[in-house]
Amino acid sequence: MDALLHVLVIGVLLGGIYGLVALGLNLIFGVIRIVNFAHGELVMLGMYGAYLAYSLLGLDAYVSILVVVPALFVVGLVVYRLVLQPLHGESSMQIFATFALVIIFQNVVLAVTRGEGYSVPSRIAGHTLELGDVRVTVSRLAILAAVTLAAVGLHLFLQRTMVGKSIRAVTQDRQAARLMGINVERTFMITFGVGSALAGLAGVLLAPIYTLSPGIGGNFILAAFAVVVLGGLGSVAGAYAGGMIVGIVEAFAGYYIDPELKQAIWFLIFLAVLIVRPSGLFGQPGAEEIGFREQE
Amino acid sequence: MLAKGLKHLCTAAVLAAAMTGVAHAQNVIKIGAINPYSGPLALYGDELARGYQLAVDERNASGGVLGRKIEIVRGDAGNPQQGIAAVDQLVTRDKVDAFIGTYISAVSNAASDTAQRYNKLYWDTNAVAAELTERGLPNFIRVGPNAQNFADMSVRAVVEMIAPALKKQPKDLVVWLEHEDSIYGKSIADIQKKLLEQKGVKVAGEGSHNFKAADLTDAILRAKRTNPDVWLQTGYVPDDNLLLKTAREQGFKPPVIELVGTGDTQETLDAVGGDYLEGVFVVSYPRPDISEKYGPGAAAFLAAYRKAYNRDPIAPQSLTAYTGMKILLEVIDAAGSTDVAKVRAAAAKMDKPLHSYPSGFGVKFDDKFQNTRAPFTVIQWQGGKQVTVFPDEARASGASLKNTPRK
Amino acid sequence: MDATSAAYVETRAARAGGIPRVQRAAALYLGGLILAFVPLAVLSNDAFWLTVLTYTYLFAGLAVAWNILAGFGGQFSLGHGVFFAIGAYVTATLFVDHGLSPWVSLVPSALASAIVGALIFLPTFRLKGSFFAIATLAFNEVALVLANYAESLTGGPRGIQVPFRAGFANMIFADSRGYAILMLGFMALAVGVSVVLMRTRLGYYLLAVRENEDAARAAGISVVQVKLRATALSAALTAVGGALFAMYVRTIDPPTLFSLPDVGVKFALLALIGGMGTIVGPVLGAFLIVPLESYLRALLGGSLPGLHLIILGVVMLLAALFMRRGITGVIDAALVRWRHRRRHV
Repeated sequence: MDALLHVLVIGVLLGGIYGLVALGLNLIFGVIRIVNFAHGELVMLGMYGAYLAYSLLGLDAYVSILVVVPALFVVGLVVYRLVLQPLHGESSMQIFATFALVIIFQNVVLAVTRGEGYSVPSRIAGHTLELGDVRVTVSRLAILAAVTLAAVGLHLFLQRTMVGKSIRAVTQDRQAARLMGINVERTFMITFGVGSALAGLAGVLLAPIYTLSPGIGGNFILAAFAVVVLGGLGSVAGAYAGGMIVGIVEAFAGYYIDPELKQAIWFLIFLAVLIVRPSGLFGQPGAEEIGFREQE
Repeated sequence: MLAKGLKHLCTAAVLAAAMTGVAHAQNVIKIGAINPYSGPLALYGDELARGYQLAVDERNASGGVLGRKIEIVRGDAGNPQQGIAAVDQLVTRDKVDAFIGTYISAVSNAASDTAQRYNKLYWDTNAVAAELTERGLPNFIRVGPNAQNFADMSVRAVVEMIAPALKKQPKDLVVWLEHEDSIYGKSIADIQKKLLEQKGVKVAGEGSHNFKAADLTDAILRAKRTNPDVWLQTGYVPDDNLLLKTAREQGFKPPVIELVGTGDTQETLDAVGGDYLEGVFVVSYPRPDISEKYGPGAAAFLAAYRKAYNRDPIAPQSLTAYTGMKILLEVIDAAGSTDVAKVRAAAAKMDKPLHSYPSGFGVKFDDKFQNTRAPFTVIQWQGGKQVTVFPDEARASGASLKNTPRK
Repeated sequence: MDATSAAYVETRAARAGGIPRVQRAAALYLGGLILAFVPLAVLSNDAFWLTVLTYTYLFAGLAVAWNILAGFGGQFSLGHGVFFAIGAYVTATLFVDHGLSPWVSLVPSALASAIVGALIFLPTFRLKGSFFAIATLAFNEVALVLANYAESLTGGPRGIQVPFRAGFANMIFADSRGYAILMLGFMALAVGVSVVLMRTRLGYYLLAVRENEDAARAAGISVVQVKLRATALSAALTAVGGALFAMYVRTIDPPTLFSLPDVGVKFALLALIGGMGTIVGPVLGAFLIVPLESYLRALLGGSLPGLHLIILGVVMLLAALFMRRGITGVIDAALVRWRHRRRHV
């Protein structure tokens, strides 16, 4: 019986990880309608950023957030401006370009590091809290806290601030937003920057848990996409809930069925949900009507 | 580091241009080294090539082989298709005389197959899949150990070293078998299970996981449920590290942790720290710090590596690669040529006892051309260092087991 | 037809040289085939380039097969690796376990793949665009896990090794030129199917569905039927490619077959850069990327780790930025300018 509780806790914490990685992707996907396959690599850059901050500046992983997240914001702005904005209107080419970025990012990091598996230590990250029989590490709790705060923060940002409102306006109707005087291109650029910054946040918080490698982004990207789609396009609550669902399903499948099959199981559930509700759990029905045709 | 790499590239290009003028293809023996030099396993491919290069440099310094210098040409291959293309390229453009490799078994499979059609020797130093020698390819010789050896040594360690240390009989031991789910982990685990059961050891359960998984708590909890004496894991660095961290977090404290294949490098030390690693056993390739009696020339290899690359070897595979290349050059010498049939004949005749080479290997090929004298060794992490503890002949003098059972 | 229309048709036919469109298409196809054969003739003695050319033909055919569903049908699939794998596994198993000639096995391979494709894609057709793409990715991942797990069926992680028993009936060639011709044949088949398809009613319906599904439905087209048929065709062709791959590389395992960057996604990338939605675009994309990647790997693969892929990635990025509609887009734009210039001389 308390294995059940234990597995549930594991699932929720894992859900936090998936949700955090998916949050930035959800924003970019939902607003700009770009399938950013390089999102995993942005997370990877965040992880290596944390490593650099540690090895060059001696910063603890959690402190390096202050450095890495803004840095990734800038990276996002640059990537959008140089690569994605020129391809505006060509969705398929944008996908192609993000794949090219995956190859470039992964191999630049490989060339520089030779592929050695770095670890980023953190003094607080390793501590374990005991809640009854269940043991929980600070690192995973921090991620859960971060994804919750970030989701709430993102929600407030989108609802209450002018920039956030302009993002929502652009999401709903680009033409109308432009007519209202919103600089759509700049909004997209900022959105991509924020999404990348969120990826950087995920990277920093994940760094104490995993062994860094240039290809580690690929371990998360598929789950992140599944979470975004499952949760419903553009819905922050959806990404959060989607992450939880995937995490919990994976944890239960891994413990009670077979760790070897757990990935397949939650992918199947993902497919089942999608077939029943094509717009995702929290998405607006009809939101899935985003073919590769532009709105304008 | 990127600038350094570019500098190397330019130097190599200039040297290559210069050398084409100086050394005619016939005066140099060219050996094609097929490995992943890019992609997720690039580190290990490069490490193997470094071992090859050191052996070649050493031999060239003393006159080369058959009066000719030796040159290594790299062929990058991360999957079977690339292996085929690499062999084609090395044969037709670089005119290599023989092949050596390979960190990935599937690549070795396809590449050696292609080499066979060019009638070129394929000398494998590191790939462990059993079928590489089982399939009976006429140009294939494996001088290094295979999956059977991994499994053998890991089980011998349990029965001959760990059981006494725990003051238990093998039939009273309970082992949890964990492994990553590709052919590497699976084939070793299959043999481990069979051997353990043969010795009367109880296998409480078998866990298979993806080495790239985001979470492995389920694997740890399932093992923890059975309360094993020995937790035996075969995998790669990412899953080793995550499993060890998770075990620590979840309070999973088996009396003995034994890792197979990986877990003996700085990467794992950095991940979990010396304190936690204390007492963990790792079955792996022989390390350069083995006793000179066990592996004559190991210390010299270490010195040469440090001189050439300004750091310690990243993984012990380089010593095995170095030894494998050394043996190849000797066999070519004995055969008087790089012709496949002659090399195979010379190799079949070779008979060197264990402890003839820096990795502790000997040479005696069976009828499938698998070297039967290529054992792994077992190290134990002690004080943040890897100390060879098994088999007894390999143990450094004065070394004893620490933290067994784990506190 | 009244007098004016008849005159109009005649004038147009006369201006076009009087050659009816079917024969023109056939002539273009044969011309293209001969053109594709030229590299084979030229490079047949260089083993390395011959191997590269073999892959290029194979992946060109696979990209063309993918394009049938994605380019013409508008269903951007990233799960074609599943069909590729089915072809490879079925043919390899029938050959190794039952001695069945791969030529014969092409039929069950294609059939099995078509059926599986129809079954699994049917429920996902209501998904659009990126949603559909990610759902098909999920198929690839599930299939990967299942292939690893179902050892009795697929050989599990070990996969299947096809022994080298040369012979035309075995589709195993001692002379690499045999494989090159085989793959060229496959590419010719895929392109031929595309050409024929786009001249049939199904082809036109497919385009209509791609452009505007609701309008197509309103016009009386059974959207689901059309998509299913396109899926079956695309899957069948992809499976044939997979079967040929299995007989060429002769060592197939789940990591090789389900690798997204090397297989499932690669089909899409080649078609994208070449020009999605055109017949010849995927071929051009394959001829650009595959030789470039192989050449870079051969040249730089042994030096700084990842260097050759950095260069490939940069080239791909630049190609995307400067050829926004793919290679065929560039050619089309050039043709328009040329015609414009001609008319205004």
